[in-house]
Amino acid sequence: MATHGGDEVSALVLDIGSHTTRAGYAGDDSPKAVFSTSYGYVPHRPPPEAMDETGANGELIRQPRASTTTYLGEQGPNVWRPNMVVTNPFSEGILTDFAPIPHIVKYAIVDSLRCDPTEHPVLVTEPTWNTKANRERMAEIMFEDLQVPAFYIANSGVLNAFAAGKGTALVIDVGKSMASVVPVVDGFVLRKGCANSTIPLLVRAQAYSMLTQPTPHREGISLLPHHLISNKQAVDPGLPPRFTYREDRASQTTDTWRTWAEHRELDEWLANVSAVMDGGWNEQIAQTRPVKQYEFPTGYNTFFGADRFLPGEVYFNNSHMAAPDLPAPLNSLLNTSLGACEPDLRAQLLSNVVLTGGSSLLSGFSERIVNELTRSYPNQRIKLHAAGNITERRYGAWLGGSVLASLGTFHQLWISKEEWQEHGKSIVGQRCK
Amino acid sequence: MSSGVGVSPECLTTYQELKLGKKTKWIVYAMNKAFTEVVVEKTGETDLEDLIAQLPGSEPRWAVLDFGYESGEGKRNKICFISWSPDDSKIKQKMVYASSKDALRKSLVGVHAEIQATSYEELDPEVVHERVAKRI
Repeated sequence: MATHGGDEVSALVLDIGSHTTRAGYAGDDSPKAVFSTSYGYVPHRPPPEAMDETGANGELIRQPRASTTTYLGEQGPNVWRPNMVVTNPFSEGILTDFAPIPHIVKYAIVDSLRCDPTEHPVLVTEPTWNTKANRERMAEIMFEDLQVPAFYIANSGVLNAFAAGKGTALVIDVGKSMASVVPVVDGFVLRKGCANSTIPLLVRAQAYSMLTQPTPHREGISLLPHHLISNKQAVDPGLPPRFTYREDRASQTTDTWRTWAEHRELDEWLANVSAVMDGGWNEQIAQTRPVKQYEFPTGYNTFFGADRFLPGEVYFNNSHMAAPDLPAPLNSLLNTSLGACEPDLRAQLLSNVVLTGGSSLLSGFSERIVNELTRSYPNQRIKLHAAGNITERRYGAWLGGSVLASLGTFHQLWISKEEWQEHGKSIVGQRCK
Repeated sequence: MSSGVGVSPECLTTYQELKLGKKTKWIVYAMNKAFTEVVVEKTGETDLEDLIAQLPGSEPRWAVLDFGYESGEGKRNKICFISWSPDDSKIKQKMVYASSKDALRKSLVGVHAEIQATSYEELDPEVVHERVAKRI
């Protein structure tokens, strides 16, 4: 328990990812609130003088959207609203729009956890590629906008390594939009060995086009969400769906909402149907694997055989996709990362590989990583740790932060409000190493 | 990043005994129940195999061992630090031990080699010998 004003109060832990935000009480073994970081708002037609402008340095100056409501969490983008736009404060895994962050943090702390932010120390996680300016901005929001009594920002790579019981580890974190490989040595990130890419986005793009484009055996599959379907009838597998589209909502559905909702359907399909070929791509073997039946909100349902392994293959190989500047697959990230480490350290890292992140839960994923590493480093001992517990695998960084922030001894690490007022932004880099 | 956990004075005095006197051959360190301080759990005057028998199968510990081996040019003794964290341990314990290791490790001067182990095979005498001889 952290001590504040003589009372023992629980610290709070926030892990704001590009896909979901996880929030909860320190000491708990799972986050109480997990909600989409994407949020909705209904834009008012702005008067001409309030249009967004381009500043002197070419940056976009957004006019305050004072009168717009931000729709978050359970009542957020997953509720259909006329003309609601859905947007996300992250771009390529990094926070680029801080305007909604106070709303997101308040939603997490006040609405979801029912806490008064002025009474609880808050630990926030950050990705390894976070910038100095960003972490200082986060501290500023916490102290100035939310008036928290104490704050700490912890590296998610180190938290994941520690949560796996390791001071030295190679942390492979596969999320919804970013995949990263981070060597942690004696509790510190080895910067030169960090590698990351948006390969999970390419996996989603591949799955999207595979499902929605027609094949010789079927028409393109509609990923229409249930919000836009008024009724449907059961149909036999493979037959065209019989449903009624909600015409009344058509003109008031924004493209951003529709894309968001379709991607949610896509994520459902990926989580339930897709898998990774553990031994590397082999069409013959893929065809011998069990098929899976899946029904979409339109009622259309079919069996997926070898094709359910195709999107997952993109994590490891994108050479068949003809497009410039594709994000690097995991093999390249691993080779870049390990290539930057001395041979002795490389051996230590290979015997302490930690696999984390929700997307790594795909069947066959961890076996494939071991196989890829064995192929690249044939004479090394490779040992991979991947939590079997789904909560631990998804929320490794949050859980690590939860334990850390719950320790009484951690009070000396917190940046207090008084310290913030005295030292300003520089204290963040000094304290949170 | 560290937990802020401290190290009890006894941890250092026991370590000095191992380093100077030649009776104590190994020490097992543990976190106290309140997770506030590292304490000495056990000491022994025997070898690596006895030390391994003291390491629990599903809880982390730290250990220091005065490892004796034949170097080819006669008998050598080197001090080895072991971080023990089996994969089956509870996440809270893994987190507390991993984030507190530096506090203990930094207070022990004269450690020759360091081993991070999650299973008993990683502490096989041959593996330890290799690590100590190569000093990695």
